Amino acid sequence: MSAWVLFTIIVLVAWGVVGIFQKLATNHVSPESTLFWMIIGFLLLEPFLYPGKILFTYRPRALTFGLLSGFLSNLGAWGLFTALRRGGKASIVVPIVSLYPVIVIACAPFILHEALTMKEALGATCALLSVVLLS
Amino acid sequence: MKEPSDEPLSLPTMPPPLERSSWLWYAIFCLLCWGPYAIFSKLGSNEIPALSMQFLFTLGGVPIALSVLFARRLRMEPSLRGIFYSLVVGMLSAIGSTALFAAYRTGANTVVVTVVTGLYPMVTVILAVCFLRERLTKRQYLGLAFAVVAFVLFSI
Repeated sequence: MSAWVLFTIIVLVAWGVVGIFQKLATNHVSPESTLFWMIIGFLLLEPFLYPGKILFTYRPRALTFGLLSGFLSNLGAWGLFTALRRGGKASIVVPIVSLYPVIVIACAPFILHEALTMKEALGATCALLSVVLLS
Repeated sequence: MKEPSDEPLSLPTMPPPLERSSWLWYAIFCLLCWGPYAIFSKLGSNEIPALSMQFLFTLGGVPIALSVLFARRLRMEPSLRGIFYSLVVGMLSAIGSTALFAAYRTGANTVVVTVVTGLYPMVTVILAVCFLRERLTKRQYLGLAFAVVAFVLFSI
């Protein structure tokens, strides 16, 4: 099995289970509280992740990418929760936001200089249809 | 005969149009955050190992946690269960995103990795059926079928 497939399976299982705990959490606290405590949950793992002095040897642009990744992911989560709180139905809002890979598909050739084969494009289309139908 | 009024017709009970559809703007805002999030994750993972990326990712989320805290005037619901489940959400999310950074770092096609990992609702739906005893709708069955086709296409 290729390494990326193994890592992808870990993502699917971890985030799949997250969906269940998210449902359980929002039965007891508001989505905003869930977001807050979720980030505290991230912080609990920080001591195990701290790479030491090597962190300061990475290029500033690489550090910026890492920080922006976390900032935008959590800002997006805040947008999602706010959309739901402002009356958006989960059955409409969640399929809309789950289309975020479309932005990656649109930008990948220009920013990442990557192209898709026909088979991969067909697979991506099926996956996007799937995620819209599932959510 | 009544003179036509210059004022536009409006229904006083309806909120202004912008407010009525504000949820849509927030949903689009989320979409516009998560697309670049995936791209920055890929660009960062090219240069930084997955564990360090997760370390930085968490630091990037701290301003959002603080904003939520101050927007709610430092008040959070005192539900131990809610807090416990949310902490589990955080730790599992972190494990997932570390694996995502590792997948990006392997050099596999970014679109394929992003699209396949975006299929995580499939696992949630299956687990909800097994553990929360939820029932699948026809739409969700169709969604699962498309997921299987996608996996087959990516694996052949």
